[in-house]
Amino acid sequence: MKVFIDPPNSLILFDLVERFGHEPLSTMAALQERIDNIEVDMPPMNVTLDDVVKGLKYAGIEVPSGVRGRLAVWGPLIEEADAAIIVDDPPFSFGCVGCERSELMVKYLVKRRNIPALRLPYPGNEEEGKAFVGKIKEFLEGLQ
Amino acid sequence: MSEERETRLLMISPSSRLTPEMLARTIHSMGEDVALKETCYGCLIEGRREVVRRITDNLRETQGNSVFSKRRAYRLGDPVRCRAQHGTRPGFSQLEDEWQALPYIEAGLDAIDNGEGYKEIPVKQRLPVDKLIEICEVKR
Repeated sequence: MKVFIDPPNSLILFDLVERFGHEPLSTMAALQERIDNIEVDMPPMNVTLDDVVKGLKYAGIEVPSGVRGRLAVWGPLIEEADAAIIVDDPPFSFGCVGCERSELMVKYLVKRRNIPALRLPYPGNEEEGKAFVGKIKEFLEGLQ
Repeated sequence: MSEERETRLLMISPSSRLTPEMLARTIHSMGEDVALKETCYGCLIEGRREVVRRITDNLRETQGNSVFSKRRAYRLGDPVRCRAQHGTRPGFSQLEDEWQALPYIEAGLDAIDNGEGYKEIPVKQRLPVDKLIEICEVKR
């Protein structure tokens, strides 16, 4: 099954979803499509002008273009997903996911799709790590 | 094209004794047709999708739970991203942050392999006002 991961470029979630036998839907795959098939030859080097227009499907015109650009990439992934794993409150420094409004919109879009979703925090010690992996395994096994 | 090419980032858990050099040698010794770049955190490999998947599966079997991987959108040494050519590094802070959490994930995967369960971790609640008043009055 296709599982949307949030943060969409998370190494941990991508690896775990793949390990437990499902297909992770990530930013990396979506961007590779653009890099290989479309000319992305000017900054910001990861979205095209068309993407910002496509983002209007997921966020209104008054929303900053950065949020729309992100949602143009993540929105189709959420539409394609059969399930979702969302990490709540990732640290603020998270690279290209460092936008709280986009995070809120992603959670809203997942909720609106009414697909099975698992929400959990990042682990801070070994016990939390065991619970984190255990919950994800149970969730992914339950999807089959 | 997208269906054929896959670039993958392999990251070693900080609790592992494996080094990027050892990882690179292991991949070279598999004799598969992939391009490989050794990095400070592990390796980047690029090749046909089925070959890259085969290597990843093989590493998961042979290296236990200490090597983690994800896809990478840009090619190896892409001038937009490669630090050697002063490329930008978006997403690096996240990688750095997740790198610190990899030992916990490794412990979780090891626990599953050993058939151990997990304890439910209570969610941290906000401090109730009554409790705050109590603390303030004790301190006064």
